[in-house]
Amino acid sequence: MRNAPEGLRNTLLIARRQLGAVRQDGYVLFLLGLVVALGLVAALGARHHVASETEQRDRYQAMVDRQWLEQPERHPHRVIHYGFLVFREQAPLEFVDPGVSDYAGTSIYLEGHRQNTANFGEARHSTGMTRFGRLTPASVLALLLPLLVVVAGFAAVSAEREGGTLGVLLTQGATPAQILAGKVLATGAVGALATLPVALAVGVMAGPGLDSPASVTRLGVLAGIYGIYLAGWVLVTVLVSAVRTSSRSALAQLLALWVVICVATPRVAASVAGALYPLPSRAELTAQVEQALNEVGDSHRPDDPFFNALREEYLERYQVGAVEDLPVNWRGVLSRESEALTSRVFEDHRQELVKGHLRQNKVMAWSGFLSPYLAARDLSMGIAGSGPEATEAFLAQAEAHRYTIIQRLNELHIREIRNENDRAQRLSREHWGQFPVFGTEPPPLGGALADRPVSLAALGLWIGLPLTGLGLARRRLALVGTERSS
Amino acid sequence: MRAWARLLALDLRRLTRSAGTTAAIILLLGLGIYGAWRAGRNAEAARSSLAAAETAYDDQLDFLLSVYPPTTDAGEVLYYVAFPAPQPPLPVSALARGRAAVETESLRIRLLALEGQLYEHETVNPRLAAAGYLDLAFLLIALLPLFIIAVSYDLISGEREGGTWNLVRLFAPRRRLLAAKLASRAMLVGAVAAVVMAAGALMAGIDLDGRAGWMFALVALHTVFWFALCLGVAMGNRSSTANAMILAGVWVVLTILAPAALSLANAVLHPVPEALELTVQQRQGYHEAWDLPPSATMESFYRDYPEWSGQAVPEDVFTWGWYYAMNHRGDQAARDASRAYREVLRERDAWARRWSLFAPPLATQLALDRLARTDLRAQLDYQDAVRRFHERLKDHFFPHFFATAPIDAVAWDQVPTFEPAAPADSAAQAGVPPAIALILASGLALGVGVRRARA
Repeated sequence: MRNAPEGLRNTLLIARRQLGAVRQDGYVLFLLGLVVALGLVAALGARHHVASETEQRDRYQAMVDRQWLEQPERHPHRVIHYGFLVFREQAPLEFVDPGVSDYAGTSIYLEGHRQNTANFGEARHSTGMTRFGRLTPASVLALLLPLLVVVAGFAAVSAEREGGTLGVLLTQGATPAQILAGKVLATGAVGALATLPVALAVGVMAGPGLDSPASVTRLGVLAGIYGIYLAGWVLVTVLVSAVRTSSRSALAQLLALWVVICVATPRVAASVAGALYPLPSRAELTAQVEQALNEVGDSHRPDDPFFNALREEYLERYQVGAVEDLPVNWRGVLSRESEALTSRVFEDHRQELVKGHLRQNKVMAWSGFLSPYLAARDLSMGIAGSGPEATEAFLAQAEAHRYTIIQRLNELHIREIRNENDRAQRLSREHWGQFPVFGTEPPPLGGALADRPVSLAALGLWIGLPLTGLGLARRRLALVGTERSS
Repeated sequence: MRAWARLLALDLRRLTRSAGTTAAIILLLGLGIYGAWRAGRNAEAARSSLAAAETAYDDQLDFLLSVYPPTTDAGEVLYYVAFPAPQPPLPVSALARGRAAVETESLRIRLLALEGQLYEHETVNPRLAAAGYLDLAFLLIALLPLFIIAVSYDLISGEREGGTWNLVRLFAPRRRLLAAKLASRAMLVGAVAAVVMAAGALMAGIDLDGRAGWMFALVALHTVFWFALCLGVAMGNRSSTANAMILAGVWVVLTILAPAALSLANAVLHPVPEALELTVQQRQGYHEAWDLPPSATMESFYRDYPEWSGQAVPEDVFTWGWYYAMNHRGDQAARDASRAYREVLRERDAWARRWSLFAPPLATQLALDRLARTDLRAQLDYQDAVRRFHERLKDHFFPHFFATAPIDAVAWDQVPTFEPAAPADSAAQAGVPPAIALILASGLALGVGVRRARA
């Protein structure tokens, strides 16, 4: 009776029976078609978006690089103001999950004396229609597939009970566990059926990007995360169907659960995170930076205390009476020291802002326990390389690049430019070819997962809780069966 | 009439006895009051952001005037001065935040090339923005319909399945019964919506002007649309579960899929490569000028400002007139790209509003953002206002530069101040198209339902 082959056979029989019922359900078939079509459209659309963004980025980065090399003979300080433009690269799996990319700037102008913001994020060009985000494979998988699972499975057990067939199944020798397992299997199969075409399309479209084994790994891990997330929905759906008295109330409860998890909680969490840890506005931040800059001093200002002290120090060190007699270029020294000071002010304030973001993100991560949707999306953007840490890494790398380039130009100013008639001198063009090129590395996959233990735990709980629930429901199902058959 | 009132009271009691309905009401009211409180906080944050820009200008000016001798060239000190361009948000913007989270409406503008200064991002945390935001518009346009669906999907089928339909029909005609059931639900939903809107209006300090009036009217019409839809579906001869699936499906299509699909099409139809183009052009246009003789720069400057063509600058020494003219050259170089950029965004905006009329809830949401002036168009209008401000500042200060005036020659109290952008259209212009779409769609849903019920 309890031997494995028969148990498995019963489970498969139940699953087949359930699939047969689903096959006759027009709503499920319609929704299945819709989800598959949307998944394909989403993949195509997202792919188009990434391709055009990459093309633009490459075109303008090449243009900017060329302009840099083709500069005429210039004074190094002129070049400090000329600066450099860098563009953010697309994440490895950007077209599957754009994560936070739309809300982060795509280009930064790197120049001396200033730290500019990254400008022109996609969100600034959107019309405010996309309150649920763009249509991407990730949003189809995380937001819409659960609905399909709910519609395919809400009646899985309750309809058997309503139709009086549950008792029949039980008396025919199927155990409650086998019934539940069969229902889970069938509902999961519907979800898998919808996921496969989308996954295939994503795999095919990832084509060129899949040269690197790293992307293949990312895609595999991503599939695993969505698999777990959707499996959780399958288990919850069958569980609710098993414990509710009617199919109607099971459906109402599951739809309400979907609204709470996928629609309401993410926004409430974001709103609460913002209320708990408010950020200064751009205007307030700029004012703070300005004030701090006034305090550190400015070499352009007459009688600036910091730079007066610096002059004394240099005059003493080189034993000369005036800065014009220094063996190094005094304006270059001023510019270098001033850059070091102001960069620290800018960077300190930016770090404060980043700290604020991290605090808010922590609230979002813990909200994953209330909304597995949030947990899955958090992991998904981490794996895709489009999470907040990726945009932050871009900003940090851009700032490091800016500082390196500016200080190298200042060193050139100090060493290559004579003190007398400073501004009239020029550096030859071969100098421009000797600067490092900007490139970003996406955060590694291992780090992305290791940084998200809370989301991983939340997703684990999303599987664990309904499994436990089904274990308990198994006993109740047997009771219901005896009630019916007695 | 008394019988009808009793029917209504009875139905209300039946409705509120359900644990699910009570939980939904508590949740909606809770979110509504939280949303209203948050709206008030947002309005306050916006005010303090504007104030910060103004204070920072005063502080900066005081500081600069205290460290630079009065004989310093005005051009040198003005290099540092950032003039505030604060656009005070409408009070109703607290209800429909639209794109407010990503936009900056209190820029500070220096006399340097403008194009590089216009597109600064707000300090928004991308992770929060990506999760979506909760404002009262979202509550009333996206969540309230789900509550309407939850209380109305089994309007008739519930009685039929419970076996009570034939029984209650003995006591009252079908139409009156339906009217009582609808009225009780409308009262419940209306009460929730009214509390939420009143809380929002009170906590965000909203004046009841035409714009607010249109916003409330659109929310009311939108609510009526969902009732019509629910009634239309409920009149069909289907089971409760089928009704629930259909209505939930319609909600998903109208609230999630239609906007996402339209937005995707919009982005594909109207790409914006000009954003990067104008950045590159402006930088190149300005910096090239340093390697050219001043007269070349001045020539292109005089083309835009013929009134100053008599003001020549020397060829061999640095002058502030030349310096700011070089900055203007940067804006000139970026002009075509900048114009194309704005045109594409305006096209995106117009296209979105036109096609959203086929998904009335989406049209309603866009109209709320427009009425609250938190939409894309408002941001573009703001940028145009900043452009005008920058021109007026240039008109004011260039004579100082050409005359190499010292800083104490500047009459600071006569410096132009920012004139905020006026709303581009009247409240009615924003409100009428979605209102018509909502009325037509409601009629359509009801008509289809009635025909199906008769068939």
